[in-house]
Amino acid sequence: MRITQGCFSFLPDLTDDQIRSQAQYIIDKGWAVNLEYTDDPHPRNTYWEMWDLPMFDVKDAAAVMIELDACRKAHGDRFYIRLSGFDASHGWESVRISFIVGRPKTEPGFRLLRQEGPGRRQIYATQAYAADRPEGDRYKS
Amino acid sequence: MSLFDKRLTPTEAPKRGRYSAGVMEYRDMGYWQPDYEPKDTDIIAVFRVTPQDGVDPVEASAAVAGESSTATWTVVWTDRLTACDKYRAKCYRVDPVPNAPGVYFAFIAYELDLFEPGSIANLAASIIGNVFGFKPLKALRLEDMRFPVAYVKTFQGPATGIVVERERLDKFGRPLLGATVKPKLGLSGRNYGRVVYEALKGGLDFTKDDENINSQPFMHWRDRFLYCMEAVNKAQAATGEVKGSYLNITAATMEDMYERAEFAKELGSVIVMIDLVIGYTAIQSMAKWARRNDMILHLHRAGHSTYTRQKNHGVSFRVIAKWMRLAGVDHIHAGTVVGKLEGDPNATRGYYDICREDYNPQNLEHGLFFDQHWASLNKLMPVASGGIHAGQMHQLIDLLGEDVVLQFGGGTIGHPMGIAAGATANRVALEAMIFARNAGRDILQEGPQILEDAAKACTPLKQALDTWKDVSFNYASTDTPDFVPTVTPAE
Amino acid sequence: MEGSEISMESGSSAPPETIDLRRELAETHVQDVLDQLDRELVGLAPVKKRIRQIAALLIVDRVRRRMGLESETPTLHMSFTGNPGTGKTTVALRMAQILHKLGYIRKGHLVSVTRDDLVGQYIGHTAPKTKEILKKAMGGVLFIDEAYYLYRQENERDYGQEAIEILLQVMENQREDLVVILAGYAERMDQFFRSNPGFRSRIAHHIDFPDYTDPELMQIAKSMLAAQSYKFSEAGEAAFESYIAARRKQPLFSNARSIRNALDRARLRHANRYFEQDGPVSLDDLMTIDAPDVLASRVFDSHPSEK
Ligand SMILES: Nc1ncnc2c1ncn2[C@@H]1O[C@H](COP(=O)(O)OP(=O)(O)O)[C@@H](O)[C@H]1O
Ligand SMILES: [Mg+2]
Repeated sequence: MRITQGCFSFLPDLTDDQIRSQAQYIIDKGWAVNLEYTDDPHPRNTYWEMWDLPMFDVKDAAAVMIELDACRKAHGDRFYIRLSGFDASHGWESVRISFIVGRPKTEPGFRLLRQEGPGRRQIYATQAYAADRPEGDRYKS
Repeated sequence: MSLFDKRLTPTEAPKRGRYSAGVMEYRDMGYWQPDYEPKDTDIIAVFRVTPQDGVDPVEASAAVAGESSTATWTVVWTDRLTACDKYRAKCYRVDPVPNAPGVYFAFIAYELDLFEPGSIANLAASIIGNVFGFKPLKALRLEDMRFPVAYVKTFQGPATGIVVERERLDKFGRPLLGATVKPKLGLSGRNYGRVVYEALKGGLDFTKDDENINSQPFMHWRDRFLYCMEAVNKAQAATGEVKGSYLNITAATMEDMYERAEFAKELGSVIVMIDLVIGYTAIQSMAKWARRNDMILHLHRAGHSTYTRQKNHGVSFRVIAKWMRLAGVDHIHAGTVVGKLEGDPNATRGYYDICREDYNPQNLEHGLFFDQHWASLNKLMPVASGGIHAGQMHQLIDLLGEDVVLQFGGGTIGHPMGIAAGATANRVALEAMIFARNAGRDILQEGPQILEDAAKACTPLKQALDTWKDVSFNYASTDTPDFVPTVTPAE
Repeated sequence: MEGSEISMESGSSAPPETIDLRRELAETHVQDVLDQLDRELVGLAPVKKRIRQIAALLIVDRVRRRMGLESETPTLHMSFTGNPGTGKTTVALRMAQILHKLGYIRKGHLVSVTRDDLVGQYIGHTAPKTKEILKKAMGGVLFIDEAYYLYRQENERDYGQEAIEILLQVMENQREDLVVILAGYAERMDQFFRSNPGFRSRIAHHIDFPDYTDPELMQIAKSMLAAQSYKFSEAGEAAFESYIAARRKQPLFSNARSIRNALDRARLRHANRYFEQDGPVSLDDLMTIDAPDVLASRVFDSHPSEK
């Protein structure tokens, strides 16, 4: 399967030049660029690990690419990496764009757990198959 | 403002005692005050007044002020037991409508104390309560309102708001995608859930009940909720994304609505839905429930066209949009411009601004008569729905921006390869267009090419483009702003 | 890079026979920056000439590339040598604009740093600091003042070495992303390049900034005053002439910067002089720096020391 979080997951994996164009868009908007990675892509896992602090003062996407390369070197194909733009202006103070820029080679996906509830109700839980292994050991090929 | 230059002149002073018994012209009773400067704390309304033949426009407008505040048809001595000068609404300005002989804009200021804090029902009862049936008027329309910050602050506002909705859904940087399950009526719960599953797995963020799906013989509400949530959870596991289905909790009584809302919550739904026809009080109750229960509240504007569409009589949709932002819904259908339902581009821009901005400057071209501060009330997500398809993606994003739910009902379910393919086509078109816009391309010009390029890697999109390439709905709008940009002479 | 009118239709037609390089200069507005440089900066003839040469080279390179002639991204890193106050920082700012207008850097801003901005105090501190600065400078020009302080011959384990290695790597691998200008005293820079051949080989243009002559400094003083709506009286000008001659002989002389500082102090004395005397003040008085405002300087003391 392919996890389709983020705003470009339905497009073919972005090339570095494509990532650069979106990073520059974020910078030009005056937003901070943030890189995060995780090996627990559960849709409710809000807090991915931060790769260093958000980049508040950069002017050019080349700066983002340096960090992305470093992040890939460290966490490469065994983690998901996402790039986001954070807008600190009043009324937003939130993420304004977020997309996946790196993912493991194979994505086994999620198991849907069902528990019989009262009446005809099901109690659902979603669990990544990869999460059966300890953190850091997932998505090893 | 030069557009309003053609003011009517004030009339002479009253000739007899103000409180002697009998009938008296409204304008002489104090409802016409051409020198009045509206206070920052006044609520202001602008009406489009069409007086009966022979009725003086100023008297007609003063009557509107009177009938929507303290007056009755005759003088009453009990006025003198009150601070009646303060409570009288004051019509302070009457302008002829451009290019519409015999029709006038009446501006009326209302003292804040005339209104109960935080109640749309109370507001509506005053402003549109009696006055629309008043005989000396041929027709009357409430065009726009200005609410003082002090009044805005008495309302909860959208239960969730755009920012928190996005955070909760973990979806940023692009419009959300939805579809209404079709056919509107007749599907069993089991078949209904199939549509939901296919559409969500294919790439939509939301599916939606239609306004008239409640609890009918072919599908009772609990059945629908159970099957929909099975579909939502399965799609979530299949994609790793948060998914939702607007479960319509519209019902005959508040007790029924609360019961349905609670059940939706127990099943883990992120969103419930109500129809405008349940009434303002019920809407505010559900907004409070939604805030208490971390639920997104979707409003379908069912019924609004009965009073918003004709220009001469009723209530403009921009007023309804303002009321709904105060009342506290999170989603509101606000038009598509390019789709099958009424929506002038400029007027629609005005509605979207009302939903999403913290401050609306006066913009007559977009139909906004007043500056309006929203005092940090949450932003309300507009929904574009009705007769739109993937081939229009560039126009939709250009017109409506990215903080909007695009609902492709027929444009998803009617796809030749099936529902999931229809959903994928829409999602790919959307992502490709947002990507191109961010990368600096002129999407309005290059849109068709961008879609075609994206379709090379996505057969469902190719088929969608082929199927609907010639569909458009080009009819004249009935409700358009009255002001066109003109070169204004220096003052 | 945006194509201009003389750009070639991709592949199909043959390249046009002639190219108007002067029009290229005008269209990119590089001429405007060169003119501004001429107007704003007094003297510096050799520097201005070198800048024009570099601009010409870059324009030709740009046209050649557009015509499909073989050429790789040119190395643009530079070294500006000269004594303090000779205009190195000012020229670097203009250089950033020129490079931006010609499309050699994407943003055109200048990030000016010294050793302390790049080098940390403890293990593991330097790399993040240097990277942070490099990230800010991406798309623009990184100006490293007194670059030789990065290298401490006497201490092999100095953290400066780490910064140097990172800089060298970026200067080599990200030539399209940023331009580095190293600045400082001529002899010390020479020494630095001798000990760090890696830098020397990555620097394409060396520009030397000569000291200003006395008349040039006088002219600089006048233009600085004019920019703030001040002027010298006749006596004031004579006094300042002797000030320049005296100041040059003293320690810590720093060319135009010393002039700027001296004028700041003269304005201070000028203002106080009018407070100490009674009677009204004319508009002309408010604009005119007179001899006493200059002559009170400690430069004229027998034991000179200037703060
Ligand atoms: N040729 C010149 N004409 C006018 N002002 C100058 C000139 N050269 C330097 N200055 C001024 O002198 C000050 C110091 O110049 P700067 O460029 O910082 O020198 P450097 O970097 O060589 O120490 C600045 O205020 C600058 O504006
Ligand atoms: Mg300097």
